[in-house]
Amino acid sequence: MTEGRTEEVIKEKLEGRFGTNLSNWTIQRKGRLYVELPREVLVEVVQFAKEELGFDHLSTITGLDAGEHLELIYHLFAKGMLLNLKTKLPLSDPKVKTITQLFPGAEPYERELEDMLGATVEGLPPGRHYPLPEDFPPGQHPLRKGWKVSDAYPQEV
Amino acid sequence: MSKITIPLGPQHPALKEPGNFMLVLEGEQIVGATVRLGYNHRGIEKACEDRSFIQNLYLIERVCGICSHSHTTCFCMATEDAAKIEVPKRAQAIRVLVGELERVHSHLLWLGVAGHEIGFDTLFMYAWKDREQVLDCLEMISGNRVHYALNTIGGVRRDITLEQKAEILKRMDILEERTQYYIQLATQEPTVLARARGVGHLPTEEAKKRGAVGPTARASNVPFDVRKDDPYLIYNELDFKVITSDSCDVFGRLVVRVFELLESFKLIRQVLNNLPEGPISVKVPRKLPAGEGVGHYEAPRGEDIHYVRTNGTEKPERVKVRAPTLANFSSIAYMLEGGYLADVPIVIAAIDPCFSCTDRALSISTSTEGGYSLSWEDLRKMGIEFYRSRGLDFSRIAK
Repeated sequence: MTEGRTEEVIKEKLEGRFGTNLSNWTIQRKGRLYVELPREVLVEVVQFAKEELGFDHLSTITGLDAGEHLELIYHLFAKGMLLNLKTKLPLSDPKVKTITQLFPGAEPYERELEDMLGATVEGLPPGRHYPLPEDFPPGQHPLRKGWKVSDAYPQEV
Repeated sequence: MSKITIPLGPQHPALKEPGNFMLVLEGEQIVGATVRLGYNHRGIEKACEDRSFIQNLYLIERVCGICSHSHTTCFCMATEDAAKIEVPKRAQAIRVLVGELERVHSHLLWLGVAGHEIGFDTLFMYAWKDREQVLDCLEMISGNRVHYALNTIGGVRRDITLEQKAEILKRMDILEERTQYYIQLATQEPTVLARARGVGHLPTEEAKKRGAVGPTARASNVPFDVRKDDPYLIYNELDFKVITSDSCDVFGRLVVRVFELLESFKLIRQVLNNLPEGPISVKVPRKLPAGEGVGHYEAPRGEDIHYVRTNGTEKPERVKVRAPTLANFSSIAYMLEGGYLADVPIVIAAIDPCFSCTDRALSISTSTEGGYSLSWEDLRKMGIEFYRSRGLDFSRIAK
């Protein structure tokens, strides 16, 4: 399944299944594929990539504060290829569905999105914070661009 | 029998890094385990956004003391992808060379720690004594034992001389002989077998499902190695094997690491004997054009991944680091369940969670004063004096 696969073939298969939902394709170089998609189809695309295209390893999830929205990048890996799925969450409603049913190892990555960026991951099993401490001021998310250390620890600055 | 929950950590004498494990015990047997991390969160990703790319190199290097070169290489590769920078062949080869030397030092360090955790301290002493050979090589190349500061955006900062090449090759021969002894020991010594076989079981399916990486995955017969599966630098031109084991336990993790040492020696010899000629770096502007890149690297502990987004300024927009240990922690809870309390330290240590070691006597030289050096004796006296001036007298017990 993993042999003879090129970036173009992966692109074609994903487009064949999800069509116009996918946009802004970038084939940066061999083995580096980027694509944007709406959050509504995210879980479906991840499942398709895992089950049909052989992307059976989730390397990590990157989150970043892009000003008007949060951007999430799901880095899926199959032999020789990193598929980077990008999705945007509006700041007013930063919700996304969990993918832990597909990749149980995603749990710490998703908790990190909640703690560090203030995204809401729906369906994440109840558990403790990661990586922030339990007594961290609620509603503060260090990786938001406007956040400063003094917001959480005024005595230290 | 009634169940009892005991916390192990965050601070505890069995392991050197803060992590909390809630263990549900029935007698001596573990029936449930949860892992809690985050005690070492230092905000490095946030700090990266406030620093220039060059400053970030030194910050990223300090993500980890043991695999410092892994993190900077990964960060450099991501940044170079984002800014479309072509790194000279010789620089790529030197990155591989130091990366493999680092793997040797890290695996030997682990072997010592594993020996210590199973109460086999002679193995710990042997492995760490041999590790000095490779640390001396790294010091000779970079001037330092753990933070080599070798990478820069666009290449490496130091070249390899012919004398260094000869010295490294000589020491690799010594280490190869010692490794043969460790292989014999790991596969035949009754104490090691008794403590490692069947302990911390992680079946292949479970390792895949939980996203295990590095020697932890390979010991569960998942042949995942970024050097082969997503070749970076010059790995696709080098000849080496991916070592796996189907025993799926601590024994397998031990076997994989000792055999990987042999592969690393092979790689080091290949790189040194075929070192391409040419420059070791290209000039890179301070401000990098907007773009994004993913660095993908096989660190001694497994897959390391960095994401870097540039925005046209001299500082990155976002740097994301996912070190291999985080990917492996999901497997730990599984490995602990059903095992025994006494095996907890070795099971946790067997994924090789990362910790820093830089403890040694040092020699300081400045261009104006000519320099001075501290012997171990002097350093000890200095320590005793330091504490005495603060009201603690160790002079009687520290004889």
